[in-house]
Amino acid sequence: MSATLLETKGLCKSFGALEVARDISFRLDAGARHALIGPNGAGKTTFINLLTGLLQPSRGSVHLRGEDVTSLAQAKRVKRGIARTFQINQLFRGLTVLENVCIAVAERLGAGGSMLRPAGRRTDVIENASHLIGMLKLDEDAGRRVGELPYGRQRLVEIAIALGLNPRVLLLDEPAAGIPSAESHILLDAIATLPKDIAVLIIEHDMDLVFRFAERITVLVSGAIFAEGAPAEIAANAQVRSVYLGNAA
Amino acid sequence: MTAATQLAARHRFQWWELLPWIAGIAVFFAFPNYLAFGTQVLIAILFALSLDLVLGYAGIVTLGHAAFFGAGAYTVGMLAQHLGWNEPLSGLAAAALVAGAIGLASGYVLLRTHGLTLLMLTLCTMALLEEAANMGAAFTGGFDGMPGLKFAPLLGMFPFDLLFFRSQYLYALLVLFICFALVRALVYSPFGQSLTGIRENLLRMHAVGAPVRARLVIAYTISAALAGVAGALFAQTNAFVNLGALGLERAAGVLIILILGGYGRLYGAFVGAIAYLMLEHTLAKAYPTAWQIGLGVTLMAVALYAQNGILGLGDALRRRLGGQRAP
Amino acid sequence: MDQLISILLGGLAAGMVLFIVSVGLSVTMGLMGFVNLAHGGFAMLGGYVIVLTMKHWGLPFLPALALGFAAVAALAVLLERLLYARLYRASELDQVLFTIGLVFVMIASITLVVGPETQTVVLPDWLRGQTDLGFVKYRSYSLAIIVAGSALVIGLWLGFERTRFGARIRAAVDNRRMAESLGTDVGRLFTLTFAFGSGLAAIGGGLGAEILGLDPQYPLRYLVYFLIVVAVGGLGRVTGVFFAALLIGVLDFVLKIYFPKGGTLFIYALTLILLLWRPQGLFGKRGS
Repeated sequence: MSATLLETKGLCKSFGALEVARDISFRLDAGARHALIGPNGAGKTTFINLLTGLLQPSRGSVHLRGEDVTSLAQAKRVKRGIARTFQINQLFRGLTVLENVCIAVAERLGAGGSMLRPAGRRTDVIENASHLIGMLKLDEDAGRRVGELPYGRQRLVEIAIALGLNPRVLLLDEPAAGIPSAESHILLDAIATLPKDIAVLIIEHDMDLVFRFAERITVLVSGAIFAEGAPAEIAANAQVRSVYLGNAA
Repeated sequence: MTAATQLAARHRFQWWELLPWIAGIAVFFAFPNYLAFGTQVLIAILFALSLDLVLGYAGIVTLGHAAFFGAGAYTVGMLAQHLGWNEPLSGLAAAALVAGAIGLASGYVLLRTHGLTLLMLTLCTMALLEEAANMGAAFTGGFDGMPGLKFAPLLGMFPFDLLFFRSQYLYALLVLFICFALVRALVYSPFGQSLTGIRENLLRMHAVGAPVRARLVIAYTISAALAGVAGALFAQTNAFVNLGALGLERAAGVLIILILGGYGRLYGAFVGAIAYLMLEHTLAKAYPTAWQIGLGVTLMAVALYAQNGILGLGDALRRRLGGQRAP
Repeated sequence: MDQLISILLGGLAAGMVLFIVSVGLSVTMGLMGFVNLAHGGFAMLGGYVIVLTMKHWGLPFLPALALGFAAVAALAVLLERLLYARLYRASELDQVLFTIGLVFVMIASITLVVGPETQTVVLPDWLRGQTDLGFVKYRSYSLAIIVAGSALVIGLWLGFERTRFGARIRAAVDNRRMAESLGTDVGRLFTLTFAFGSGLAAIGGGLGAEILGLDPQYPLRYLVYFLIVVAVGGLGRVTGVFFAALLIGVLDFVLKIYFPKGGTLFIYALTLILLLWRPQGLFGKRGS
């Protein structure tokens, strides 16, 4: 029986009169390859923000590996095994690609607060980060400032950072957006190398990617779960088609 | 050189890093009549260095850093004046402890806020301490301060002479060296890296699991202790303390020095302090009003066009001439 | 009892001056998120224009106030368009640096042109002496300031709440991007608000010359006070600045009389506690 890594119970969030999350009960099991789709403004990123702690829910709870983390701040949740990428890159633009990933890896290895030894001596951190960079085919840019890279490559750095945290639950918010379609396979290849028992949730608009990646799809509309099931079911669902898929490229 | 080997070697000493220290010693022999001024420069460098840690690396904009400078200065002054405790080195340690404690307490409480509120609160804290020093005249000498402090010879052997400042200069140089080594190690450590990360992208640091507030408070505390050491040096070498150690003028002054030199890069403090104090020494006495206008215009120009100060301009020049990225 | 009322009135007058000077700062900081440490400089410049035109050109009181307002507002427009506007997207540090530089230039310019002495205001006859309020007699000038300040806050409140222009300002303070996307020309809005706020500061500088004094060091000496009033009141909230200014003014005045040694300390401590408890100020919006 696969363990439930991430679960929400009746998650609700409203800003004044605007309800952005309505009674969302959701589950991610170990090994899940799950996609979250829905029209613009459906509340997908808001949902991720609620999962990671960037937003506090008005009602309901979030559970990570059985533990109620609803009142925990972002950083504490990350320590418990959840990592995310942002829809708009959140990188250290003045630092190099390698430094960016090293910061994440250092935190994961508990080296982030070390004051005595130079960062350069932590070969474990540097090797780990280099390996991730290689996996995402960023080697030639490893020494370049992130701010100087084209957007698509910056996106890959964003993903490298999330991977560097070695999460049990990985949330990717439109990871392929901005990556030229010729290179989007890099993304899928990288995910394929992840341990099989990690749960991965992707928000995406690129239906090609969604159907190649997902074993299960949730459709979110106006902050509530509209439909959920295997890709074939969702594709065949007439209501989903009309609400969303019918207009997709 | 791959990026990895470059990163792994970043903390290694470059040959030119010896230059400031060689110059420091050379000044001792070459300009024996200017050692009093030289000592002030060294103290200013240390103070600016402490500010660089919180401002340049952690990104905390504070107008109240003189609070810690003053705390260190008054600690040493009061110990000497009222308790007869005038051994310099232990006085330094006491100053670092007191200033660090104030830094820890205020940092813990203030660093929950950010932006304008934080700026305000740093100003308020410093103003509070200044008022307290003003009021507690029995302890602090109030408005007149404590002139004529007496300190024991350094290590029992090197007395402070107020005429030529020989011992004071070397003393300050040594203390600066040790503190600089500490700051340098800190900056190149993973802790220092994480401070840069906090400054560059706060949200991202939270999202990689870093205990942001704890890191900031620690950086603030260390910085406060270092500023306290600078203040203590000030009191010891000049043999007096007064409210000038605490006010807005001193806090703005160190901020200006750091920005002029270039923040976030260790040596900006050196460049800024030397440039600013030398200019001030020659111009301010002669033409005080013109100096203030010139300074004001310079600051405005820096804010608009040269935010990275003199070192930043040097970088830009080097890039124009086809050089490589500076460390 | 008489003494209490006198003290209260004195504090209110001081508070009103603080309000008149600081309200412009609060609105521009709330509107543009710009840390303008040179605001006190505008107050000082206005004060000098007012005092000096009265003294040397024999200009009557009210026209002098109007001139001070106009001159400083014009200067503010110039500075805003040419320089301030370049720094709206700059870091807080750069804004702090720029405005410190500007205030240095202002202070030095006045020292150079006028001299370092404190300026005294020569009040017109109709403002001198005392007024009998029935229950107490008090300085007419201070009473006039209280009346002027009250009229101003009412006028501003009406302006903010009842006019389109005021609504646009409030909207832009609340959410600048949203206001922009709804068609508000935020750039022009800010220039006008900045000019008006600086003009008000100029009047405050002139009116308050008796109470706060007027000399080249004025901007830096009172910087912390203006910032306290703005921060405690909540950015962009006229009513907030009003009550904060009165609170600080009265407190400061009262404490100077009864606790001359500890008064300012108490105010700083109070501000610290207040802002730690409510970082957005007493009236500010949470999460700004």
